[in-house]
Amino acid sequence: MDARMRRGLGIAAVLAVACIFGYAAWVGLAVAPPDREMGDVQRIMYAHVPMVQMMLLAGTILFVCSVLYLFRASWKTDALAEASAELALVFGAIGTTLGAIWGRPTWGVYWAWDPRLTTVAILLVALAGYLALRRFVDDPERRAVWAAVTAIIIAVDVPIIYFSVKWWKSLHQVQSNPSTVDPQMVHALRWNITAFFLLFIVFLVVRYRIALAARMREVTVPDAPPRAREAVAS
Amino acid sequence: MNTLHTVLAAVGEGRIQGGWEYVRAAYGICWTGLLLYALSLWIRSRRSEDVK
Repeated sequence: MDARMRRGLGIAAVLAVACIFGYAAWVGLAVAPPDREMGDVQRIMYAHVPMVQMMLLAGTILFVCSVLYLFRASWKTDALAEASAELALVFGAIGTTLGAIWGRPTWGVYWAWDPRLTTVAILLVALAGYLALRRFVDDPERRAVWAAVTAIIIAVDVPIIYFSVKWWKSLHQVQSNPSTVDPQMVHALRWNITAFFLLFIVFLVVRYRIALAARMREVTVPDAPPRAREAVAS
Repeated sequence: MNTLHTVLAAVGEGRIQGGWEYVRAAYGICWTGLLLYALSLWIRSRRSEDVK
């Protein structure tokens, strides 16, 4: 595939995602009915839920890539781990902010140390630390190993976040999915999840390519550690 | 459906009036944040290609 064709496909993908995103936003903001108790404020759910779901998905990808790296060192899995960690932080930070805005009119406060919110806050701080760790270590191979071990420890929080609303019934409501949401809202929720998922994939591919290119530059310089250069082949 | 009935049985009465300012703020932050991140990816991607 030549560069021109790749560029054309990239533009087509961005336009397709933008159209789906626009339709999903319209369905969530104008077509879906207001909630029985929360009224129109509940429309924040159509952005908040997909954002947090993408954070959990990115956290899962980070875990899988980190485990794979420790079993079989590859710059591709290391680059994908770096990309997914950054996306988990971005989607998680924005998703949590949306949740705080939703919390103000419904709970009366922007923030409460509820188990769900606390575990998400821990994940976001840990991800920021993970990305800082990656910047502080110069040796690419040592960095990849340390990052993989750290990511596996961080990823323990992902299932805790998911099940926190079931284990500790507190302020945060149960997961919003087709079995807990009114059938009239399911259509809008599914479209928004699809739109955010497609956007997530586009971001992940672009960020992965940036990370992989950076890694290749690092390990192909003459003074790179021998083992790092050997791993280029894998 | 059982889960939905359980959830519906737990809700009370009354409805929050208005609240569109919260919706506008939430969607504004969401779209602006994602747009800025897309911009940062585009800039980093261009830089990465320039280095090649």
